Amino acid sequence: MSSMPSKIRPGQPELLPYGKIREDLFRPLSGLTKKYFAAILIPLLVILFGAYAWSTQLRLGMGVTGLHRPVFWGFYIVDFVFWIGISHAGTLISAILRLTDASWRKPITRAAEAITVFALMIGGLFPIIHLGRAWRFYWLMPYPNSRLLWPNFRSPLLWDLTAICAYVTGSVLFLYLPLIPDMAQLAEHNAPWRRKLYRALSLGWTGSDTEWHALERAMKLMAGIILAVAVSVHTIVAWDFSMAIAPMWHSTIFGPYFVVGAIFSGLAGLMIVMALIRKLMGLELYLTRHHFDNLAKLLLLMSVLWLYFTLAEHLTAWYGNDPSEMIVFGARTRTRFAFIFWLMVFVNFVVPFTLLGIRKLRSITTGVIASFGILLGMFLERYIIVVPTLSNPRLAAASSGFYMPSWVEIAITVATFAGMIVLYLLFSKLFPIIAVWEFKPHQQEDEI
Amino acid sequence: MASVTWLLGEFRDKDAVADAVRSLRAAGVSVSDLDLFSEEPLELPRGLLDRPSRMSLAAVLGAAAMGGAATLFVWWAQNDYALITGGMPVFSFWGTGVITYEMTMLGAVLSVFGYFLWESGLLRKRDKSAPIPVVPPERIWLRLCCKGSDVARPKALLQQAGAVMVEEKASV
Repeated sequence: MSSMPSKIRPGQPELLPYGKIREDLFRPLSGLTKKYFAAILIPLLVILFGAYAWSTQLRLGMGVTGLHRPVFWGFYIVDFVFWIGISHAGTLISAILRLTDASWRKPITRAAEAITVFALMIGGLFPIIHLGRAWRFYWLMPYPNSRLLWPNFRSPLLWDLTAICAYVTGSVLFLYLPLIPDMAQLAEHNAPWRRKLYRALSLGWTGSDTEWHALERAMKLMAGIILAVAVSVHTIVAWDFSMAIAPMWHSTIFGPYFVVGAIFSGLAGLMIVMALIRKLMGLELYLTRHHFDNLAKLLLLMSVLWLYFTLAEHLTAWYGNDPSEMIVFGARTRTRFAFIFWLMVFVNFVVPFTLLGIRKLRSITTGVIASFGILLGMFLERYIIVVPTLSNPRLAAASSGFYMPSWVEIAITVATFAGMIVLYLLFSKLFPIIAVWEFKPHQQEDEI
Repeated sequence: MASVTWLLGEFRDKDAVADAVRSLRAAGVSVSDLDLFSEEPLELPRGLLDRPSRMSLAAVLGAAAMGGAATLFVWWAQNDYALITGGMPVFSFWGTGVITYEMTMLGAVLSVFGYFLWESGLLRKRDKSAPIPVVPPERIWLRLCCKGSDVARPKALLQQAGAVMVEEKASV
């Protein structure tokens, strides 16, 4: 074990005594403050309103939404793509940084992995909400119907189901594995129900070297596998669009374009969550400016990559001058959707490039401001991808249409953001949001 | 059945533990009779207390098995009630490749998790007679299983290596 240094410098919390780290990171689990209740009560009310909106849709049918011929994909599909994108925060950040042994990842990984699981849970709800008859969702399962007809395995929608199931399973296990040693330490908690919970979930972990070796091996392997799954999931979400010969959708770069956008929005989500838990849980010593600075640099890189893909996508369409594509191109950049398009470019590139690119302006606050902008921008990007194409279909026989989300769609969308807050607050009360055992530098890192 | 005595040595220093393991191995103690307990992963020099693993192989085999099974299932289902495909093949790897890929990855994930549970011994039947030390922060415990009657020598080796305390526990 490393000996304690004489003086801990700010930004070096990993050099604190292990007992102190443990105490600081386990403290937020105990006690329920008024601030916590207030933080959870308001989103709960929003969720209740969202549930009422959904019940209205279930009772009265899809007519209560703004979906009309020919625009049959609207906010729900935008939400689906958005949340699946956010889910890339955890797995990709955590897996990439874990595989590359980047030591600054340590306070970030669990927060990121939890985002993945919750965002997937929320994102996975939207295809079911979009079905209208949500109680028929099991028709997607691979079993024959009453006429012995199997689902069409060539359908990208069935690919989605398979990919999301694989991703959820992998992400839950990826979150759970490094939680085991922390839960074993928490097994002596004062509250009896917590003791029972942590004992059951820690599976009798003793801290033997056999267990540690198995855990570290499993985490390395899992990181590699989950990375491949995460990339495939958003590629498949992109293929939901690009497999259709619809204007501005049938593009070969849609897969990587979506993956880049997903990582971009995921990073922004992570930045906001980290800033919130830092403030609410008093973890200023552990989530330092250094971590936010590194995240800001990653955001900046993704912002530039996003702009590159957006330009490549639009320039190719413009140069091709295909009449049906040019109608959508014009709608996006010059007419009906131009404001949304240019606002998207502004908040996804201009704002982050200014706030995070200029060193003097880069701080935790500006990082959070830029991240909120990016989340808005990425939501608009998905809207810009989905709606203008469906409003201007390729076939001349199909009339063009106009889409405006109804209050039901907006309420359900807002409720999912509230849902994310509630899930995160509950998680952070049950489990340490920073992996305690991973926090200390290990021997190999000392040698490096 | 030969009597088993457990020795538990408490250390405060990683290097002292490494010395203890080195001298015990030199005295003929096998790796399977040694266990370290710590609150965080402990990296000893390579070759000292290596525990070979087949987790990667399990991942590959699990991936191949699940991917293969999923592909066979899709092939069977597509042929069980063939859809009208307008002359295109009823089953094609292009069309079902995504499902094969995702199920392959899921197979790998599940095998890694299953193998972790097995290899770490978390879900296997443990030797209930083996004492499990409570490990406070900044401490390391080395547990040694002595199957013969000679306990004094390994005990001395632990003390020589720098154990602050050595406990002796007979098997129940």
